[in-house]
Amino acid sequence: MKAKILLALLSVTLAGTAAAQLKPEDAIKFRQSGYTFMAWNMGRIKMNVEGQFNKDEVVKAANAIQAIANSGMGALYPAGSDHGTGWEKTRVKPEFFTNKEGVTKVAMAFNKEANEMARVAATGDAAAVKEQFGKLGASCKGCHDDFKIKQ
Amino acid sequence: MAMKGKRIRLWDLPTRLFHWLLVLAAIGAAVTGQLGGNLIVWHGRVGLLIVGLLTFRLAWGVVGSTYARFAYFFPSPARVAAFLRGEWRGEGHNPLGALSVFGLLGLLTLQAASGLFSNDDIAFAGPLFSLVDKAVSNRLTGLHHLLSNVLIALVGLHVVAIVYYGRVKKQSLLKPMFTGWKEGGDGESARGGGLVAFAIALSISFALTYGASGLWLPAPPPPSAVMETPDW
Repeated sequence: MKAKILLALLSVTLAGTAAAQLKPEDAIKFRQSGYTFMAWNMGRIKMNVEGQFNKDEVVKAANAIQAIANSGMGALYPAGSDHGTGWEKTRVKPEFFTNKEGVTKVAMAFNKEANEMARVAATGDAAAVKEQFGKLGASCKGCHDDFKIKQ
Repeated sequence: MAMKGKRIRLWDLPTRLFHWLLVLAAIGAAVTGQLGGNLIVWHGRVGLLIVGLLTFRLAWGVVGSTYARFAYFFPSPARVAAFLRGEWRGEGHNPLGALSVFGLLGLLTLQAASGLFSNDDIAFAGPLFSLVDKAVSNRLTGLHHLLSNVLIALVGLHVVAIVYYGRVKKQSLLKPMFTGWKEGGDGESARGGGLVAFAIALSISFALTYGASGLWLPAPPPPSAVMETPDW
């Protein structure tokens, strides 16, 4: 029993250490996963807006995006993660690491629209969802334009 | 200079319609592309319109009337050299202007074509996106962004040249592009480019634009049959 508790404590400690010393390639993987997962959910909202509207699906998708937007993903850009390969080569621009003010601005704009997306989704108003979906997409673009490398 | 009062038919109606519709469509594409959001859907639609216009113009450059034909104003080195020596005589696009026309048409075609395969990493992709790898699409998207800046610069040059001709050389290039008529000049009125030619060019344009629209692709799961995800 003692051994088990010790093991549990040890693994918690290890996990904590791992989070604090996130390896750049792991950080890149985590953040790429986050964006990819959001892309799936953006696609779901889009399908519902263009086709038959299913409120439950939109709510699931919008809540998922909101959760990721508010998850503190900013921590996934540790020093040294400006270059490197996660699932693929990172496309973050060097400016992301020097222009804190600009990054905060586009990131907070995105959070605001993601929160609003979840709120609107809960109302089940298809027209409002469509409009907010456009605003949310534009807030994604805000960061892509300034901080994502065009290949 | 020719006799006062002489005027020639320079730009046929399809060429003029093409030109001004392209102006409107290009402005629309630039604005919707910059703004994004839900307008990106319109960016795609306007892009297809531009594909239609460009493919029409490419066909019209072969079957259209005299001064609209590529062969008539093809800027061969000999012609450009003659023009620079001040020895070029002709109507319509002079050899330097022709370089600009070919440049604009070529780059716009590349721009429209790259857009068909592009994606924005948000929720939008060109109609032929599914035909290429994501990595290839990303490359073409990068090219699409780069070319948009090059094109804006080229269009700026195009406008500056027209203003230069109007102000300095006292020759209005705008008026013939509106009315089709050019006052003065040594040449003869344009010939050819009748209804049959128009029908041929339009058919080619429709066929190629249909190809670009991706409507012939095996339909992805239709949006109307939206999947329902499980509770977990």
